Amino acid sequence: MQILAQLIASGIAVGMIYGVIAFGYQLTFATSKTLNFGQGEALMLGSLVGLTVVSFTGYWIMLPIVLAFGLVQGAVVERLGVRQAIRTKSEAGWIMATIALGIIFKNLAENIWGRDALKFPSPLPEAPLSFMGVNVLPMEVVIVFGALAMMLLVEVFNRRSIYGKAVVATANDRDAAGLMGINTSLVITFSYSLSSMTAAFAGVLVAPVTLTGAAMGGALGLKAFAVAIIGGLSSGMGVVVGGLILGITETLTGYYISTGYKDVPGLVLLLLVLSFKPSGLFGSATIKKV
Amino acid sequence: MKRLATLAAIAAAVLFPFLVTSPYYLHLVVVIAIFSIVTMGLDIVFGYTGEVSLGHAALFGVGAYTAGVLAFQFGLGFWIAIPCAIVVALAFGALLALPALRVTGPYLAMVTLAFGTIVAILINEMTFLTNGPLGISLSKPLFADVREQLPFLEMSRPRLRDVEYYYVVMASFALVVLVINRLLASRFGRAFEALRDSPIASDCMGVSVYRHKVLAFVLSAGFAGFAGVLFAYSEQYIAPNNFSFELSIQFLLAVTMGGRKSRVGPVLGAAIVVYLPNLLADIGQFRAVAGSIAAVAVLSGGWRMIKLPEERLRTLVPVLLCLGFFVFSLLLEKITDYKLTVFGLMILFMVYYLPEGIWGFVRTGLAGFVSAPAPIAARGDDANVWSATAPRVAEGRALLEVKHITMQFGGLKALDNIDLTVMPGTIHGLIGPNGSGKSTMMNVLTGIYTPTAGAVAFEGQDIQGQTPSAIAGAGIARTFQNVQLFGELSLLQNIMVGLNHFYRGGVADVALATPRARREEAAARLRAASLLRFVGLEALAHEEARNLPYGKQRLLEIARALALDPKLLLLDEPAAGLTAPDIKELIAIIHKIRDHGITLILIEHHMDVVMTLSDTVTVLDFGQKIAEGKPAEVQADAKVIAAYLGGSHAEAA
Amino acid sequence: MLRNLTVALALSTLLTTTALAQPVKIGLTGPFTGGSASMGVSMRDGVKLAVGEINKAGGIMGRQIQLVERDDEAKNEVGVQIAQELINKEQVVATLGFINTGVALASQRFYQEAEIPVLNNVATGTAIATQFKSPNYIFRTSANDQIQSAMIASEAVKRQGFKAPAILADSTNYGQLGREDLTKALALSNIKPVAEEKFNIGDTDMTAQLLRAKQAGADVILTYAIGPELAQIANGMAKLGWKVPMIGSWTLSMATFIDNAGANGEGAMMPQTFIQTGNTAKRKGFIEAYQAAYKVDRIPSPVSAAQGYDSVFLLKAAIEQAKSTDGAKIRAALENLQTKVDGVVTVYDHPYTATDHEAISGNIPVFGVVKGGRVVVAHEDDIAGDKAVRVKPKN
Repeated sequence: MQILAQLIASGIAVGMIYGVIAFGYQLTFATSKTLNFGQGEALMLGSLVGLTVVSFTGYWIMLPIVLAFGLVQGAVVERLGVRQAIRTKSEAGWIMATIALGIIFKNLAENIWGRDALKFPSPLPEAPLSFMGVNVLPMEVVIVFGALAMMLLVEVFNRRSIYGKAVVATANDRDAAGLMGINTSLVITFSYSLSSMTAAFAGVLVAPVTLTGAAMGGALGLKAFAVAIIGGLSSGMGVVVGGLILGITETLTGYYISTGYKDVPGLVLLLLVLSFKPSGLFGSATIKKV
Repeated sequence: MKRLATLAAIAAAVLFPFLVTSPYYLHLVVVIAIFSIVTMGLDIVFGYTGEVSLGHAALFGVGAYTAGVLAFQFGLGFWIAIPCAIVVALAFGALLALPALRVTGPYLAMVTLAFGTIVAILINEMTFLTNGPLGISLSKPLFADVREQLPFLEMSRPRLRDVEYYYVVMASFALVVLVINRLLASRFGRAFEALRDSPIASDCMGVSVYRHKVLAFVLSAGFAGFAGVLFAYSEQYIAPNNFSFELSIQFLLAVTMGGRKSRVGPVLGAAIVVYLPNLLADIGQFRAVAGSIAAVAVLSGGWRMIKLPEERLRTLVPVLLCLGFFVFSLLLEKITDYKLTVFGLMILFMVYYLPEGIWGFVRTGLAGFVSAPAPIAARGDDANVWSATAPRVAEGRALLEVKHITMQFGGLKALDNIDLTVMPGTIHGLIGPNGSGKSTMMNVLTGIYTPTAGAVAFEGQDIQGQTPSAIAGAGIARTFQNVQLFGELSLLQNIMVGLNHFYRGGVADVALATPRARREEAAARLRAASLLRFVGLEALAHEEARNLPYGKQRLLEIARALALDPKLLLLDEPAAGLTAPDIKELIAIIHKIRDHGITLILIEHHMDVVMTLSDTVTVLDFGQKIAEGKPAEVQADAKVIAAYLGGSHAEAA
Repeated sequence: MLRNLTVALALSTLLTTTALAQPVKIGLTGPFTGGSASMGVSMRDGVKLAVGEINKAGGIMGRQIQLVERDDEAKNEVGVQIAQELINKEQVVATLGFINTGVALASQRFYQEAEIPVLNNVATGTAIATQFKSPNYIFRTSANDQIQSAMIASEAVKRQGFKAPAILADSTNYGQLGREDLTKALALSNIKPVAEEKFNIGDTDMTAQLLRAKQAGADVILTYAIGPELAQIANGMAKLGWKVPMIGSWTLSMATFIDNAGANGEGAMMPQTFIQTGNTAKRKGFIEAYQAAYKVDRIPSPVSAAQGYDSVFLLKAAIEQAKSTDGAKIRAALENLQTKVDGVVTVYDHPYTATDHEAISGNIPVFGVVKGGRVVVAHEDDIAGDKAVRVKPKN
């Protein structure tokens, strides 16, 4: 029982990491029906910039700087990679462009910060906390709540602010929103900014636990992609649940079945979910209009 | 011209091992040819049906490992491996495609990615079968020791082996090009393109989007598997990490960079991704290539600036970028550290300035010099407009019976308990203000929507809940309110998609170009041309549909629907956007259709059209039937007049 | 007639002299980007250091060495292409390199066919040096997995008396081949690991693996993986509040393990052919030269750098003995090397024979231990006195 609890606790921490990155995929998909395949690299850049800044400013001042960096980085991705492709309605275009930007960011990071994994100083003590025999790192608790808080804040912002209304309008019908005087391309740019901002935040959040480095983005970005798809690309609730499902399945499989096949059940689950609910667990099916 | 180029390419391929004796280049060409087989196959999925697959590296790996396992566990060689690997890859492709292709876009990308990951894990973990992470070594076969028969060859045994293998790969490559060319020129190729341009119209033409996507994917998997065997024997060592996710990305990049929807493009792309690591390793070579790119850019840009002075600025930017790239290459001291950045920049440049890939760019450039090959002439005649067997429908019984249909979207009842009876041989008008539910009714009848409640009986059979393509197959054809043509297909091809039901030959017939396949294709062509002639578009047979004026597009849709040999034809606002003479022509066409025993349902806002044509008219308002009867009766109905003129629905036609 | 002969003679002398002045081309390949880049780069830098020294001193037989560097990205297929390129296009005399066992197994057959010697500087997969029968062109300067796993097993079981080892290895062929060798080595002492767990490159959570080991009652963790994941294991143990010693392959000396595990990694032990302590003049000189040339204090991967450095001198000795750059002759010379090569790892005295292509024997590596963020010698008496330079026993 204690072991099960320990596995679930670790699964939750891992799952929330996936979830918060997956959340970034949703933000851009809502406005533009595009995804940033370099989302993992946005996370990596946020975390490495954080690592550099933190040595000058300390942890808490570093956070807003990293968030600002994320906003800018997202805007760059959108301007360079996505806008052109949206204009020409080229599906292949944005996929290739975001992959290309991801490659470039990763290579630049390799040259700036080196090719090795680096340690990110933890703002909290690294001794584990123990609840009834279940050990968790203080930083893991922060990840879970930090990720939730971040998603909540962005959701509130999206629902309450005028920008949020513009997002909803753009998501529903880009052309109509454009005719109503909404600057839809600005909305899309901003959604990319927000998306990269959450990724950058996720980067500094998880780095003390996962290590940072130019290569950290790839695997996490892919797992998060799976989570976004399991949960559904149109549901904020979905990524949290999807993340938890994938995270917990991984640790449970690893322990009870075999660590070699750890990733398999999560992926099989994904295939099953999509065979029965093609737009994810919480996604809503779109009505075809003819 | 094309034939000449093909012959030259074949001659070059045959002579290559003797002109360039370095095994390095021989091996390079072999690997490029093998990758090309994968990318050409991937192009069927990615270029033609428009779906992104991130699982092709895994399918390639499945092929390679089939060869590896057969050799390692059972000692079976190359010739047995090839058919086995193709079959296994086809099976894996089907295993993936059957569930995966229910989804589309990013969801499909993820499913294929998940599949790829699972396959990679299985190869790594199933040590008893695959030898796990240690990998499998194979040895390149020596097919025939011809040194004694051909003493002038003067070859060592290893070199002979390499040269023979080169020819085997090249022959395989040529075979794949031939088969893919045939497939894509056939009804299957047309279906792949059609379903990307308009999935809904494809389904409604009886071309099941799902089944054709699965077919495209499975075919493409077969090619990947074939290439896998060739790869395994060419490299002579395979390990699980050969077939990673990155390789899938490389395949996609190759297709995009080279240029989609062609054979040359994927080959160019494969050459780039194979050779690029070598190129980016050597600064001297890199400079040379950057220099020649800049030269091409300056030449083609300069030419373009002279030809299109108004776009001077737009042309200047990429030219300057190319020049800048060359200068950058001169400044760069060492390239290893930044080679991925260079690679990324190249992709970005392509996305911006060569969205159709290199071959797309070259092709557009060449279009000015080389005239496009004349398409096979197709002459229609009056005898072949109609199906050989006229539609036979039992007289006196309703052809279509709609019973208590309700269609609910969330809180909105778009159709509320509607009954509708259509008698054979009649023209049934369906009118109502905007938003009254007419198009929803069309969508229910053709299976695009499954009604919330109620039943639809066609010739006495319940059809609600069936797929659109099954309903189309049963004999209901339609046109669309907002025209749904297959924009990149020619007029003739559009209609030939509608004739899909008429073919009996399968993939094998097409691949082998059997007499049956050729006969059917010729017959379909004749029939399609005749239908075009019927709607007066014969002269434009080889024009792309998207280039047609709006009114003609509607006529083309009618011709395409007729290709289905329907018993019931649904026309959704056929007169919208037509000029007065066009409308006259349309009325004549509709009359002729009815005279051939085809029943019609007509949604139309032009009251005069509806009233002159219809035998019976049904009026919908807010999802409810408010009137039904002969045109004159309906026109006099108070409720109808109120619906059209009263309230907020003042948009009378 | 006579005139023709003179011209021909003159021409041929011209050709031979230019041939002599031509540099000796040597291939250098390894991953210089990506996850195992720190080993690749250290190896490359070690090689370049040696080449610099040799060229400065006049080269090999008066010819300068020219390195042709290629990044294999740790990818098999890239390695294969590079092999083809180096052999057929660059026409190298020999190749130094390979960090990744998979890349080595995939690529070296081409060298074997072309009869061009390869000195494997870092890759440890046992199969590498025995992939081909004699005449075998593949040589090695690193301690193979068999040697390492035997050392790990004997350290854990015999020297420290652990009874219930758990093996944690990554799912790459490095980890999995090592795991196999380790189980075999343990079996010799009649010990079966209580758990054998895997993880992927990039995994950040080791809870499941560690809990399985813990539940199985493991008293020591034996590892076969690379830096970042090894750090996750150490950190994961700290998180679970479970502390057993870590003993593993030489990669526990990677900076990415030591830095990222921090205090949790202290005490981890691994076999090392070279430890960054200047306990002989030769080693001291090498370390200082490396530090000066690349402006670092700690060599990212000292083992890779040292083995890379030594390999150049082995090759030089062989070429000079063969008096030729012909592959077969260099191979023959390597298999019967008359000169003693005084390297930083060891003194190479007849390091290879026709059947034995391993320069490092089981007695050469010593155990290193992570202490204060550096690798130091674990058992001081291992290098005491005349054991400072440990030499392969005569065949």
